Amino acid sequence: MDANGIDDALGLSNDKSQTLGAYIYQPPKHGKSAGERPSKRRRVSATTDGDDNSDRKCFVPLFNGDEAAESVQLRYDFYQQIWPKQEHKIQAILEDVDAGVLTDVLSFVRDTSPQTCDGCIPTAMVTVGSNVSSLSRLLARLNDQLISTEEGSVVVLESGDAPNLKTTLKNIIRAAITNTDGNDGYQKFLGDRAGPRLLGYDLDLLHDYVQRKKTKKLVLALQDSEAFDPGLLTDLLSLFKSWLDRIPITVLLGISTSVELFEGRLPRSCVALLRGKHFEVQEAGNCVGRIYQSLQCDPDTQIWLGRNVTTTLFENTSDYFQSPEAFSRRVKYAYMSHFFANPLAVLLASSTSTILTQNKLCEAIRNLPSFRMFCEDLVEEQSTEQVRYMLEDDEYLLRETPNYLNAGQERMRKIFQAVRIVHACLQYTQSAKKANVADLSIRALSGELAESAIVEDMVATAKTLDSDKLNELLADVRAITSSPEVDEIQEDLKSLLETCPDTAPLRSGYNINSTVTKTTVVQQRIQLSKGKADLSEQAAEYTNIADRLVTLLQVHLTETLINPQELFLHEVFLFDLRNPLKETFAPRPRFAIERALATPFDYLISSSDVTMNKVSAKQPATAILYQLYLDSGALVNIHDLWQAFYGIFETEKAGGCDDRVVMALFYSALSELKAFGVIKNSRKKTDHLAKSAWMGL
Amino acid sequence: MKRKLSDAGDQPQVSTPKRRRTALKQSNGVPNGHAPNLAPPNDDILNEVHPPQNGQSTPKKANDVSATPLQQSGLKTPTHRAKARGLFATPTKPQSVTAPTPSRVRNADRSARKKSARVLFEQNEDAAWDGSERLAEEILEGDEEPGNEKADHLAESIEPEAAEAQDKGPKGAKQPKRRAGRPKGARNKRSPTPEGELPAHERYFFQNRAGPVKTSNATLNKVPLLTHEEYFEKLGQYVDPCKEEKDYLLSLHHRSFAQWAFEFEEGFNICLYGYGSKRHLVGQFAEWFYNRRLSFTTSPTIVMVNGYTPGISIRSIFATIVAAVMGEDAPSKLGAQPTEVLELLQSALKSRKEPVTVLINSIDAPPLRRAANQALLARLAATPRIRLLVTADTLNFPVMWDISLRDQFNFLFHDGTTFIPFSAEADVVEEVNALLGRKGRRVGGKDGVGFVLKSLPENARNLYRLLLTELISLLDDGHQSDDEGAAEGRSGDDNGIEFRLLYQKATEEFVASSEMMFRTLLKEFHDHQMITSRMDASGMEILGVPLSRDEMEGVLEDLVLG
Repeated sequence: MDANGIDDALGLSNDKSQTLGAYIYQPPKHGKSAGERPSKRRRVSATTDGDDNSDRKCFVPLFNGDEAAESVQLRYDFYQQIWPKQEHKIQAILEDVDAGVLTDVLSFVRDTSPQTCDGCIPTAMVTVGSNVSSLSRLLARLNDQLISTEEGSVVVLESGDAPNLKTTLKNIIRAAITNTDGNDGYQKFLGDRAGPRLLGYDLDLLHDYVQRKKTKKLVLALQDSEAFDPGLLTDLLSLFKSWLDRIPITVLLGISTSVELFEGRLPRSCVALLRGKHFEVQEAGNCVGRIYQSLQCDPDTQIWLGRNVTTTLFENTSDYFQSPEAFSRRVKYAYMSHFFANPLAVLLASSTSTILTQNKLCEAIRNLPSFRMFCEDLVEEQSTEQVRYMLEDDEYLLRETPNYLNAGQERMRKIFQAVRIVHACLQYTQSAKKANVADLSIRALSGELAESAIVEDMVATAKTLDSDKLNELLADVRAITSSPEVDEIQEDLKSLLETCPDTAPLRSGYNINSTVTKTTVVQQRIQLSKGKADLSEQAAEYTNIADRLVTLLQVHLTETLINPQELFLHEVFLFDLRNPLKETFAPRPRFAIERALATPFDYLISSSDVTMNKVSAKQPATAILYQLYLDSGALVNIHDLWQAFYGIFETEKAGGCDDRVVMALFYSALSELKAFGVIKNSRKKTDHLAKSAWMGL
Repeated sequence: MKRKLSDAGDQPQVSTPKRRRTALKQSNGVPNGHAPNLAPPNDDILNEVHPPQNGQSTPKKANDVSATPLQQSGLKTPTHRAKARGLFATPTKPQSVTAPTPSRVRNADRSARKKSARVLFEQNEDAAWDGSERLAEEILEGDEEPGNEKADHLAESIEPEAAEAQDKGPKGAKQPKRRAGRPKGARNKRSPTPEGELPAHERYFFQNRAGPVKTSNATLNKVPLLTHEEYFEKLGQYVDPCKEEKDYLLSLHHRSFAQWAFEFEEGFNICLYGYGSKRHLVGQFAEWFYNRRLSFTTSPTIVMVNGYTPGISIRSIFATIVAAVMGEDAPSKLGAQPTEVLELLQSALKSRKEPVTVLINSIDAPPLRRAANQALLARLAATPRIRLLVTADTLNFPVMWDISLRDQFNFLFHDGTTFIPFSAEADVVEEVNALLGRKGRRVGGKDGVGFVLKSLPENARNLYRLLLTELISLLDDGHQSDDEGAAEGRSGDDNGIEFRLLYQKATEEFVASSEMMFRTLLKEFHDHQMITSRMDASGMEILGVPLSRDEMEGVLEDLVLG
C-alpha cells in the first residue's frame, strides 16, 4: 500500500492543519481535491449556479431538488416576513415584564447617593431566581438609559473577570471606558494623560474618567455575585468605599439564591459597607405563558404550533429552568423548520401566484393524509364529481386550495378564540388551580377541550354567577369575539338591571343561595330535600338570561373546538413535529454514542446483509471492543480482552489474518474507549482495566 | 464446624449444610420445594429413569439462573428431590440411607462434595450470586448419580462463565479432564452476566458486587506491544470493511450543510455530537461554506480551531480570530488576558458587517475542558456576528455547561456520527501505553533516544553504550535461566544495573573519572527520560532504560556504528 493509502486509512491528510491549534481557514487548492466525491461537487455548483442575484438564499429546493427556484425563494421570503413579526411581539412582552423592575432600579440608582445611605455604598440587590437571562437584559437596558441621559453607565462584571484584585480593577476600569468610548478610546485615554503613565489598575484612571465625563452614577453590576470570592469582594468594596467621595459608584448585585444566603457568605465588615434595597424579577414561567398566548391566539397568526410541539415546549420549561429567550428560540426553530423543510409552506406565501402551477406541488397536496380524509368525506357526501376534479385537474386543485387553506386558518383562529373565551370564563371560577392558556391550548389542539372536565366546570360556574360578574364576563367575551347573540344577551341583561330597583346583584336560580334545604321529619327520620327558593320575577328573568348565555357558550364551543388534525391542509398551517425540536435542543449524546457502538449498523446502513446483530469482524473495531466491554465485568483482563477481540477476527477470516494488524485495531479501539472515559487503568491487578460506564445507566 | 466437616470424609455428615441449602432453596422460592419429608414412592423406577434425563441437561441451561428451577422441575422429578432431601435432611437415619451407596461414590466426587458443602456453608450475602455456589449445589444434588460424569459435565457447563477462575474453585479436581479446552468461539460467549436481560442498574450492581475478582491472571507480558512505527504501518494495511457505509453516512451529513448555514443565518450556534471523528466533516463544511460564497465580493472569514491540540490556549484562539477580523489593523500587542483579547474582538466586530465563522473541533478535549475556558468560549459564542460550530466527542459533554453557559452558547445539537477513527485527536499508542500502565516506556522512543545521543558529547555516548551493553548482557543471562521467550518483550527498566557497578565499569573504560562527573552525565540522560532509576529492596539504586530489548539493540547498533 502506498503512502497515500495509509494516510487515507488513518484519516490523516498531508496538510499540517490538524496539528495547528487555531488558524484562519483557506480552502485547499482545487487541483488537490480531484478525488472528492462527485455528489459534493454537484451540490456546490448547484447552489452557486442557482443564486447569482440573490445573496440571502439559504433554502434548498425540496421535492428531491425539483422545486422551482421561485417557490424556494417564496418560502424564504415568507419566513423572513412572518418571524420578525412574532419576534417583535416577544420582545414587547419581555420589555413589558422587565419594565417594572427597570423603573424601580433606575429610580433607586438616580435617587440614592452615599449621603442618603449614611456614607455606605448604595447597593441594589436583584434576585433573579430561575429567570437567569433577565438580569443581563435588565442591565443592558439600564446601561442604555443611563448613557442616553448622560448620567453615567453600567459596568458589568462576571466572576470570571475577577481572579484577583488587580485584574478585577483593571477590568472594571477598561470596561467602564470602552463602554462609552470604545477600545480606541481606552488606548487614547491611557496615552493622553499628562504626567506619569498610570498602571491599568489605578483607580485614579477611573477618577479621571468620571471627572471628564461628568458621570453622576457609575453602576458596578456583579452578574453572578455568589460566584465571586468573598475575600476579593470585601477588598474590592472597601477600596471603592474609600474612593466613594470621588467616584460615584452604585453596586448592583445579581443574586440567584436569596439575599440572606448571600449575606451569610460575606464577612460582616463587607456587609457593613453596603446599604441598599432588594428587587425581585418576575419568574420565567409567567413570561413564557404570555409569549405563547400572544403567538398562538393573535388574530393575524398564520401558522400555529401543534399539540406535540406545545407539549414539548412546556415540558422543557417545567423540567429545567428555561429563560423566556430560550423558549422563544425554540419557537423560532419550529417556524424555521416548517418553512425550511415543508414544500407546502409556499401555499401560505402566495395564493394567486402562477408559480404554484407545478406538477410536484399538486402531487404533494394529493399525497397529504388530510387530502385523503377530505376526499373520503366528499365521497360520502356524494360529491364525487368534485373529488374527480381535485384528483385529476391540477388547475382546479390549485384554484380551490387557497380557499380551503383560508377556511382552515379561520377555523384555527376560532379555536384559539374559544380557548381564550374558556380561559376568560375560568377566571370567575373558585377552583384553586386555574388552567392556563397553554394547558387549554394543548387540549384544544388535540381536540379534547370541548368534552373536557374543564369546560363542564366552567359551564357549571357560569350558571351560578351573579349579575355583576356575568356582566363582566360578557364584557370579556365581547372583547374576544363579537357575535350578535352575545350583544343581544348583554342588551337584555342591561335592560333587566335597569328595571331592577335593588342595588344588590341578581342571582340565578342555580346559585347556591337560591336553593333552600328543607328539613322535614318523616316517621322519626330527618329527611332533607332541596328545593328552589321562590325566585323573584327579576331573578327568574336573570336565570333565563344566564341559561341563554350558557347554551350559547356550549353551542359555540362544540362548534369551534374541533380537532385541528381533521382540517384539510392542516399540514400547511399547523406545525406539529415533535422531533426536530426535541432532538435539537435536548440531545442525548450518550445514547447516540452507545447506540452507534452497540449496534453500529443502525448508522452504517449495510448494502449486503442488513441483519447482522452479533459481533463480527465487519463492524468497526471500536464497536466490537465496546460490545465485548458490555459483556465483561467491572474488572477486565486486557489480555483476555485482546484474545476475545482477536478471536473474532480469527474465526471470520480463516487464514488471512495478520495478528499485528488486529493489534493495531485493538489499540485504536482501546484509546477511543479511553477517550470516552468508559475505561481506565485498574491498580487492583496487573494488566486490568476498570469499567466506568454501564449502558443505560 | 469447619474442621469437623473437613475430616468427616468417610461419613457423609453433611446434614447441616444440607439443611441450609434447603432453607435457601425455599427462601428463593424454588417451586418444587414442596413436601420435604415425603417418602420416596418408588426408588427403583426412579433410578432407572434418571440417567438419560440427566444427559439432557445441556450445559447452557445449567448456566442460566432463571432456567435452573425450570430444569430442575422439568428434568428431575419432584419425587426424586424429595428422596434426595430425605437422604440428607433427616439426621435421624443418615447411616441407613447412605449405607448402600458408598461403594459407588468415588473419591474425587466426595472431595468435590466436601468443598461444595463448605462453599455453601460459608456463603454470605456477597457471594449470593456466585457461580461457584450454584455449582456446589448441583454437585451436592447430583451426588447419587454416576458421580464423575455428572460433575465433569457441570464443570464443562460452568466453564465458559468461570473461565478465568481456571485453577481455583471446587472443580479444581476435574481440571485435567477437560483437556480439549474451551471450544472454538466459546470465548465470545464468555459472559459474567449469565442472567440474560438485566436492567441497567441491576447489571451495575451485579458486576460491582463484592467478592474476589474473577478474572484470569494472564498478563500481556507474552504479547509484544506495538510501537508507533508498527502501529501506523499495520493500520495502513487494514482495509476498512465499512468504507462505503461510512462514506454514505458522511454524504448524508453533507445534505445538512444548507440547513446549518440557515441556522447560522438565524443566529444559532451548532454543536455536533456522536461517535467518530468529526474533523473531516467540519473541514468539508468549511470548504462548502467557503465556496458557496465565492461568487460574492468578499469571501467569508472562517477560523478553524483544533481543541485537541495539546497546549492550546483560549487566548491564542481569540488572537487568531482577532487576526482574522482585523487583518493588518490588528494591534501588535494584544493583552495577556483572554478577556482583554475578547473585548478587543468584540469592539472590532461592532464596526463589521460580515459575520465570522468559528469552527472548533473537539470542544470537550482535555485542553479546553476547564470550566473557565468554557465560560470564555460561551462569551465568544454570545458575541453578535460570531457563528460557532463546535464538535464534541465524549459521552457526557453537556455537563460542561450550566444553564447560563448553555444560554450563552445558544446551541442547536445535531447528531454527527461518522464512525471515523480519532486519528489526529489522540496519540493512540501513547494513550494505550498509559492505559496498560506502561507509561514512559516509549518516551522519546528509539529515534528520540538516538537523536538526543547524537547531540551529546562523546563521553555521554560511551556511557550510554556501556549501559546498554550491560543491560543486554543481563537480559541474555536472564534469557537462559528464565522461561524461554518471555524476555523478548521485557523492557530494560524491569531489570537494571546497579549504580555502583555501572560507575565502576565507567571508570574502567575512562568514561568518567569521578562520581561527580558520572552523575552529571547521568543527569543529562534523566532530563531526557532516557534512563530510569529506582531503589531496590536493599536500598541500592538500580538504573534501567525505558526501551524494549529490540530498541535497545537498535540504539546500541547505531551507537557502535556511528
